[in-house]
Amino acid sequence: MNISKIANLRFFYTRTESIAFILSILSFLLFCIGIYWGLYIAPTDYLQGDSYRIMYVHVPAAWLSLQVYIIMAFSGFIALVWKIKIMEIASIQCAPIGAFFTIIALITGMIWGKPTWGTYWVWDAMLTSELILLFLYIGIMVLYSAFSDKRQAVKVTSLLAIIGIINIPIIHYSVEWWNTLHQGPTVTKFEKPSAHITMLLPLLYMLFTFNVYFLTVFIKRVRLGIYLREKNSKWLEEYLND
Amino acid sequence: MIKAIVKTELAIYFRNLNSIFLPLIFFFLILSVFPLILGTDKILLGKIIPGMIWITVILTTLLSSNNFFRDDFKNGVIETYLTSDASIELVLFFRIVSCWVFTCLPVIIFIPLVSLLFEISFQNSTIILLTLILGTPVLISIGIFGSALTLGLAKNNILTPVIIIPFYIPVLIFSASAIEAVSIGLPFTMQIYILLALLVLVLPTMPYLLKYTLELSINN
Repeated sequence: MNISKIANLRFFYTRTESIAFILSILSFLLFCIGIYWGLYIAPTDYLQGDSYRIMYVHVPAAWLSLQVYIIMAFSGFIALVWKIKIMEIASIQCAPIGAFFTIIALITGMIWGKPTWGTYWVWDAMLTSELILLFLYIGIMVLYSAFSDKRQAVKVTSLLAIIGIINIPIIHYSVEWWNTLHQGPTVTKFEKPSAHITMLLPLLYMLFTFNVYFLTVFIKRVRLGIYLREKNSKWLEEYLND
Repeated sequence: MIKAIVKTELAIYFRNLNSIFLPLIFFFLILSVFPLILGTDKILLGKIIPGMIWITVILTTLLSSNNFFRDDFKNGVIETYLTSDASIELVLFFRIVSCWVFTCLPVIIFIPLVSLLFEISFQNSTIILLTLILGTPVLISIGIFGSALTLGLAKNNILTPVIIIPFYIPVLIFSASAIEAVSIGLPFTMQIYILLALLVLVLPTMPYLLKYTLELSINN
């Protein structure tokens, strides 16, 4: 057992408690401002009316769902190559967060689709590849939970995540291509008429807010992962008893 | 070396003739269930039979590659592979190929008979054959990769399919669209090229990936 690696986990666990607390308050405040900005200040769309406002949740969630997958695969790669313990934890703890963002993106997309497309679900390229992304996340989580030896599990899920990241562009483009070939209903694709700055700014702001929120949850989940892995160790007991 | 590998593989498969015939019987069984469920409407069946064949092939490949390394893992053959000086990538490559030969090739050979039974036109059955020949080696390789990933688990009956089906999607999309393009008289070379590209990409790299995955699964 390498001492410096345990020390690394300990360092992270003991130093991030206050950071996580500050970040959670910050992301709550950012969300409050974002709701006001997105729902009241941003102008109404001339084509879609007010229903477009769900974009302020949908687009950042969809963005994050991919970003979290990349982070998961990247930290999985580091964990496999350099065998850094905290990266193993970081990699697997990304999976539930990413699945959560994917579900939010899917649900908000469905809610937006009803008034705009007239139906909750279309086998549209974006929707379908987002759904497959959800299945990839679920596969990783299921595989992780099937192993009783969690270190072994992380190695395997990291490998799966890395292979998945090669596969995601292939899936995305094949689905996009598949859909454009036999597009049944005349889905007026949400042609972005280069959104006006008053609409774009809150979107960028929400993207930032979602990133802060992700960071908050990520740090908290990594702390949870460290706790689960090190719950029998002495330093954790001492730290929690203080 | 190669001769010895092929000889062993052939011996293993021919010693247990069930392993050759079962995938084929399974294939025909599932295919004959479809008309029972969907009815015997000729127009409907003619429209969806290529999709039915592909779904059946997916199930066959999933089931036959599910416990691919199980016996070898129990016998300690995989440890022997990994510790030996011989090129394990070559062994794995021939094992993928032989798995394909004994599970998918029989199905592909019997596609003309299926076309007779379901009255598929010559053109359509040719393209079904072509997509199956190009697509099934990729599916088998991915399935074997899945079985290597779940090697350390006691029970993985439905887990492996859940993990690997998302990886099947590109092959399925391009096969299905090639078949559809032919049935409505559009050019289909682009889809065939992409299937070929996937085959050329997956088949040579898979033995290396499998070796790495087996090493991960063994070293615990």
